[in-house]
Amino acid sequence: MADDLYSVLGVARGASTEDIVKAYRKLAKKLHPDLNPGDKAAEEKFKQVTAAYDILGDADKRGRYDRGEIDASGQERPQQRYYREYAGGEDGARYRSTAGYEDLGGFSDLFGDLFGRGAGARGGGQRFAMRGTDAQYRLEIDFLEAVNGAKKRITLPDGGTLDVTIPGGVQQGQVMRLKGKGMPGMGGAEPGDALVEILVRPHHVFTREGDDILVEVPITFDEAVLGGKVEVPTITGNVFATVPPGSNTGKTLRLKGRGIKRKGGKHGDELVKLIVVMPDRIDEDLKTFAEKWRAEHRYDPRRKLREQA
Amino acid sequence: MLTERDIVARVKHVTVTRLRVWVRQGWIRPPAKAEQGFTEADMARAALIRDLEDKLGFDEEEVPVLLNLIDQIHGLRAELKGLLEALDDLPDEVRATVKTRIAARKRRTR
Repeated sequence: MADDLYSVLGVARGASTEDIVKAYRKLAKKLHPDLNPGDKAAEEKFKQVTAAYDILGDADKRGRYDRGEIDASGQERPQQRYYREYAGGEDGARYRSTAGYEDLGGFSDLFGDLFGRGAGARGGGQRFAMRGTDAQYRLEIDFLEAVNGAKKRITLPDGGTLDVTIPGGVQQGQVMRLKGKGMPGMGGAEPGDALVEILVRPHHVFTREGDDILVEVPITFDEAVLGGKVEVPTITGNVFATVPPGSNTGKTLRLKGRGIKRKGGKHGDELVKLIVVMPDRIDEDLKTFAEKWRAEHRYDPRRKLREQA
Repeated sequence: MLTERDIVARVKHVTVTRLRVWVRQGWIRPPAKAEQGFTEADMARAALIRDLEDKLGFDEEEVPVLLNLIDQIHGLRAELKGLLEALDDLPDEVRATVKTRIAARKRRTR
């Protein structure tokens, strides 16, 4: 069956209905089997021309043929053009692999280099294509680097380096994905990603709880009694915090916005836990004072303990 | 050249996301990567991958194995076709000799 019905009738694609009728009649008169007894070729041609006219002469069928919904024989075109229809052609050459018969080349000098990778211009040399695998790395960073963000460089086993920009607020165990920094892909496919697991070294002073920073700050006996300003470390430097009079060990001050930056631009807080510390040496003054004070202001911090134990 | 949209429109059940994953995995390798230009063969290949995954139920680790085998088969078929075409151009008596030899090998290996 001819591919192009228009060429069978010898008309242009845009031909009018009249032109198609005219062309068909002219051919039919010439080719009709009864006008050409014994001429097999003419009969065959007549069938083709008539089949073409059956489609092109019908406005509805002609439209469907033009849109590619039916083929030249009037059959519904299959919805799916199968891959195998292309795989053998020029368009499919990219995908054809010759990896399967690398070892078939050992015949003689004459044929030895005909197949497989040495096959030259046939274009069928495409290898197995696969995205590169992801590479896994671990990166240990300081607490403050995790909190504030940092730029780090990883030295790879092959001597190369990988620059990692660590965003502020990164969590312990968080895995960063660096696109395309993994193993190279095969056969033109993309490289894999580098997956960097972040390990945060603990800090001597700060600990982290969500977006808040916890810190324990020792205060003197007199600061606890009288209150006052004490210098407190934060992740961005020292600040002065106000200790209210009568602050006990365990009392926690909240320094608003001194914690870790959150996604929305807000910050967590720093929680300052006060620890009352007696002086290293208790001198006579303090001893005298305590004895005098005890005589007049006895108090019982352990009453609850006794009652509930 | 076909665009991503053309392929998604014409191959049922294929989404832009799926298509991009396949390209990223190297299962589909459009000739002009920069323009995201696909050919008819790429489109048919997308339909093939879709069938492998959806209709036949192969998973993403099995699909590249199958594609690799399919590509090898078509590579072999193309070489065989080239070989047969080359043989076909030879003089009649050479063709007859080749035919006899092949038939003899087949009998031996049967």
